[in-house]
Amino acid sequence: MTSEEQELVLTRVFDAPRELVFKVWTDPKHVAQWWGPHGFTNPVCELDLRPGGAIRIHMRGPDGTVYPMTGVYQEIVEPERIVFTSAALDEKGHPMFEVLTTVTFAELGGKTKQILRARVIKKTAQAAPYLAGMEAGWTQSLERLAAYVATGSKE
Amino acid sequence: MTRTPDHLSTTLAALCDPTRRAILARLATGQATVTELAAPFAMSMPAVSRHLKVLEHAGLITRGRQAQWRPCRITAAPLKDVADWVAHYRRFWTESFDRLDDYLREVQKKGKQHGHGKRHDK
Repeated sequence: MTSEEQELVLTRVFDAPRELVFKVWTDPKHVAQWWGPHGFTNPVCELDLRPGGAIRIHMRGPDGTVYPMTGVYQEIVEPERIVFTSAALDEKGHPMFEVLTTVTFAELGGKTKQILRARVIKKTAQAAPYLAGMEAGWTQSLERLAAYVATGSKE
Repeated sequence: MTRTPDHLSTTLAALCDPTRRAILARLATGQATVTELAAPFAMSMPAVSRHLKVLEHAGLITRGRQAQWRPCRITAAPLKDVADWVAHYRRFWTESFDRLDDYLREVQKKGKQHGHGKRHDK
């Protein structure tokens, strides 16, 4: 199984130099401007940019609901790589499990190719024993299986 | 969504094993007995039974009540929850990156307007 099959992978090319892309990912002033879905604002955005440093972002949805998000930086290599863990929250803001996210930035003729990889690393509470041997998070084959089983109901 | 977050975690945990995914893939083609499920794996029946127990606990399969036979069937709802969550996570980042794309343009335009003094520095 390749790593692509085990992770959620999103690739984007931005028409901006790599140093700038890295900066808008790591400076809270900038992050607050783009983090979250359309229509969201980030009234709280605190980034302690060092390994072990905390990420604390409160996203506010268009209806005023606040979604807190917390994380911890694992690795920071300016300007090419950021690794952090974050708690995946349910609709009520309760942590469900932890996600390890790795974002890499590569120069591409004045533009920047960004690759985000995310995988689940652990459950936060009761289901922990089942995760002892957990080797992977999302798989494309899993998504296909889900789509196959829940025929027509997957968006 | 009717299922609780803990259900989703349990589902994810149960899915994080290649053998269990293979069992589910087999069950997606129709119900089967433990013996039939064990056949493709170099694994003892008790080991397969343990996997089935995890899948059953996660609500991914149900088992018949006939004492000997107990056929296993796949249940779709938890898988849909996982697919929904993955879709949700993908959407979060996709929309964030749309905004990031716009923001980078804006910041660079401002930088140009302010000559070499690039406002986004520090």
